[in-house]
Amino acid sequence: MQSLRHILPTLLLASALLLGWQLYCMMSGVSALVLPAPTEVLRALFVERARIVPHALSTIWVASLGFSMSVLFAFAASVALHFSPWFQRGLMPLLVASQTIPLVALAPLMILWFGFGLLPKVLLVILVTFFPILISLLSGYGQVPQAYLDLLTSMRAGRLRIFRRATLPMARASFFAGLRISATYAIVATIFAEYAGARQGLGIYILTAKNSFRADLVLAAVVVSACLTLLLLGALRGIERLTEPGHRRARHAER
Amino acid sequence: MLNVEGLTIRVGARAIVTDFSCTLEQGRITCLIGPSGCGKTSVLKWLAGILPPAITADGAITLDGQPIVRPHPDLAYQPQSDALFPWLSIAGNAALGLEMAGRSRKAARAEVVAHFGAFGLAGCEDLYPEQISGGMRQRAAFLRTIVQDSRFVLLDEPFSALDAVTRLRMQDWLCARLEASPRGVLMVTHDLHEATQMADRILVMSAGPGPLVADIPILTPRESRTEAALAETRTLLKSLLLET
Repeated sequence: MQSLRHILPTLLLASALLLGWQLYCMMSGVSALVLPAPTEVLRALFVERARIVPHALSTIWVASLGFSMSVLFAFAASVALHFSPWFQRGLMPLLVASQTIPLVALAPLMILWFGFGLLPKVLLVILVTFFPILISLLSGYGQVPQAYLDLLTSMRAGRLRIFRRATLPMARASFFAGLRISATYAIVATIFAEYAGARQGLGIYILTAKNSFRADLVLAAVVVSACLTLLLLGALRGIERLTEPGHRRARHAER
Repeated sequence: MLNVEGLTIRVGARAIVTDFSCTLEQGRITCLIGPSGCGKTSVLKWLAGILPPAITADGAITLDGQPIVRPHPDLAYQPQSDALFPWLSIAGNAALGLEMAGRSRKAARAEVVAHFGAFGLAGCEDLYPEQISGGMRQRAAFLRTIVQDSRFVLLDEPFSALDAVTRLRMQDWLCARLEASPRGVLMVTHDLHEATQMADRILVMSAGPGPLVADIPILTPRESRTEAALAETRTLLKSLLLET
């Protein structure tokens, strides 16, 4: 009941938006080739389901693989940067600069350098999602109250122990916030990589549909991509709830 | 006996404490008072071995005549806030010092849980800090400090976050706890009432850098202190603080 009340505003707004779109298509007489009505998009999705599913599976596989590897790399990098301020000062400006490289330049380059296989797509997902996770981790590490650090130091805990007992647990909430941001980028980056060149995936499906002037199929693929993003976000929420420390569980239980 | 001789603390080129000396005795509560910014907390942090690198300090510290390196197992420190980790249960928090000293999680927990009744925390073992009151949180922090079994305890304004009634209760409670397991205590406080009520000795620091303004022993046992005598000491402290 509580969760229904939580998502009710979103449901209402989305319904209003779809209704407006549908009415506009019906009343303005706009061509379905330019702007298909939501009902036509749904019909296209239903008719094309057998073709879209393998593409969607390919996209979610690449996005999940790239995203998981990105999380591992970002965590390893965050630990290295945390323990080496010199390294952090040196590397952070370069990492920030790397974020200014446009995706439209990066995706074809990846294809050019690494071919049409899995590697260029996974690399692109890593490049796009790595930074927000790294930043969220480093920002989380910086949120440890000085009193916690003082307390552990006075107990003769070393840097590694302080990291494990205070810094890491403290960064948890920030880490998951970064994961959620990156998860949305992961699907978009995968589709973009596929768009630049692939044998399968929603990106190549969208490209083919666009070339055939099938706006309804392009939008059907957009609906699927949105569902995939929600799926990834849902999985992250599940992991967050399953691994949450006792005090958060206790808080939820009290509600 | 813990002896500090000629302690000078500097932030950059500016000295905030100069020539601070004091002796802490086992089983006695020493209160350190002084105007805001006079360096009380810095002295405490220096003793605990946790001064930030930007602050330099120079001074001699000996324990029973022997120089010591800090952080030292015989000097337990309690920060101004209770500093309970929100992700650990009360038992987990209380056992933190023992775990850091090398005990297994299980052994440390068993050891602290045995004290929960005496610290007024029975039944709170598996609760989390946000689920208990401010006074209970402070008792859990004291338990974490006391079970470390150090000979000296450094307390930085331990009651500052508590309401007036809880504060009075906790002061009596802490004195009783320290009688049950005597330690040498150095407590930073702003509260003259608290200092006169609890201390066996009061050290008054000057506003600017310089040696102690006064070292006032209170010889009357806590339970026999009259309100008139306490008021007299408070008046003396007040005039000393206003003079500095």
